[in-house]
Amino acid sequence: MFLPLRSLLKREYLRWVRAPTWIVAGLLSPILYLLLFGQAFDLGKLVPPVPAAQTGLTAALLGAPNYFSYFAVGMVGLVAVTSALFAGTGVIFDKQLGILQRTIATPVRRSTIFLSSLIFRGLLVVLPIFIVLGLALGFAQIPGLAGLTVTQTIGATGIVEVLVAIFVLAIAFTSLFLAFGFLFARVESYFAVVNLLNLPILFTSNALYPYGTSPQWIQNITAYNPISLAVDVMRENFFGSTYYAHPAYVYLGGLVVWAAALGVMALLLASRALRTK
Amino acid sequence: MGSAEAIRTENLAKTFPGGVEAVRDVSLAVQEGEIYGFLGPNGAGKTTTVSMLTTLVRPTRGRAMVAGLDVVQSPREVRQEIGLVFQDSTADGELTGRENMELAGGLFGMNRSECRPRIEELLTRMDLVDAADRRVKGYSGGMKRRLELAVAMVHTPKILFLDEPTIGLDPQGRAGFWRYISQLRREQKVTIFMTTHYLDEVENLCDRIAIIDHGDIIATGTSDSLKERVGGDVVELRVPATSPDLTTTLGAVPGVREVSRDGAVYQVRCPRAEGIVSPLVRACDAQGVTIEGVTVQRPSLDRVFLALTGKAYREEGYDDGRAAQASAFGGRARRGR
Repeated sequence: MFLPLRSLLKREYLRWVRAPTWIVAGLLSPILYLLLFGQAFDLGKLVPPVPAAQTGLTAALLGAPNYFSYFAVGMVGLVAVTSALFAGTGVIFDKQLGILQRTIATPVRRSTIFLSSLIFRGLLVVLPIFIVLGLALGFAQIPGLAGLTVTQTIGATGIVEVLVAIFVLAIAFTSLFLAFGFLFARVESYFAVVNLLNLPILFTSNALYPYGTSPQWIQNITAYNPISLAVDVMRENFFGSTYYAHPAYVYLGGLVVWAAALGVMALLLASRALRTK
Repeated sequence: MGSAEAIRTENLAKTFPGGVEAVRDVSLAVQEGEIYGFLGPNGAGKTTTVSMLTTLVRPTRGRAMVAGLDVVQSPREVRQEIGLVFQDSTADGELTGRENMELAGGLFGMNRSECRPRIEELLTRMDLVDAADRRVKGYSGGMKRRLELAVAMVHTPKILFLDEPTIGLDPQGRAGFWRYISQLRREQKVTIFMTTHYLDEVENLCDRIAIIDHGDIIATGTSDSLKERVGGDVVELRVPATSPDLTTTLGAVPGVREVSRDGAVYQVRCPRAEGIVSPLVRACDAQGVTIEGVTVQRPSLDRVFLALTGKAYREEGYDDGRAAQASAFGGRARRGR
């Protein structure tokens, strides 16, 4: 299994490094978000500088010291979705070009074909996430720029929880969009559905703004949204557990369930697409 | 197992969901080392048959053994033993020729040191050494085809399947491709199963030929044995319209099997045209008729096809007018479609 997997990953890698536009645009868009949206859009400025109001703001931001710190962690969720959006396109092109047909005519296991896409596309999701987190932390050191300020001391467990949350979130969304890649024959159908899902997934999460003001039914959805779960794991570790009902590992557990469910769904759709007619 | 048969099918059939009977009943045997031509018009069931033999499509009925293995029971083992060249190029255009070949080797479980010498050898054979490190999207049509062949051969398959491998190539490119195939066959021990709808391609290259039409095999044999079925050569004589009837005169010439007349044109069938043309001309002279034109028609698979199906074989498939004509003469109606 190892040699075929390595060969398939190498092919994905070569296609990626030979498309500079893909690399630059993929990495640039989260950075632009941080620079423009993050710097310009400060919810904290809407709140009067009186102590009572400021306490309310901290509660709304679930303990984050300022809106950018809150937003920067949420960016992880946003970047996970927007980077994973393209995960299924490679499969569709391979179908159309006959490359997938050639691959399934070799003794390679179907699960290896799926795994190679999941690993490579998952890495393309994780990479910009780390760039965003690194930049946001760096901004805090530059005077005049809003940055991500971590208010807690994070222990080894915390670091592991945050890293696992990032990787599991990447697996969840890569699986979801890969599944559509295996399901659809045309890029048009793929993007129609992906676009349809994109915004509801983002806006039923607490990635970009506090959801305390939204109606209860949205709040119920938000609590179980995989982005919320991942972001909760990180925020609780970064800003303290005061405003959280559960310890971070509970949210992480929920996220793992999501990733497992989406992973299994994608694997099933992949084996259906790759099986003998 | 271990028999000299590379491929054997028994009553192989495939009906696709929706009821399309792509293949109805295909029984054939291909010997090891043979080049076997699978010939038929577009839509006759060639690709579906190849897809079943290469484990990409599951048969509805019947059995197929490839390299001694059942395609339904041991698909992965079958895939290990076969190489495929599809109608369309399936190489990754963003990768170089060499990278495409390395990818193929890796998919068959070959490591770098196993791949390397094999890839160099095939690049040399296919005249791709200079292009090996260029991206495939810049290759010409002929180069792409040769690369497909090289990619399919990396893991040293026992059987090579070529599905319409020369489609889209110009005549020069086609001729070139077949030269590489002959060379490959001489140097590598490989059985080749190829489909095509170009008659001339199979005529010289293939050891044996099967003709498929509407999902059924209608004839198998060597190119020569198939041609014998339609009765050898035809000498066509054109005479002035005012000439008397020559049917009896021509029929009396030794070696002539049959004479038919269509206005001022006589068709004389004989086993071999050599040595018979001048006696025919002399016989006409003796009757005071001056021959205006002589043509000799060699038997072609085109005529074999016509004789077997009642329809002309056309490279683009049947045109409607011909099909209707054939139907009027019972060619198609007999099939009860």
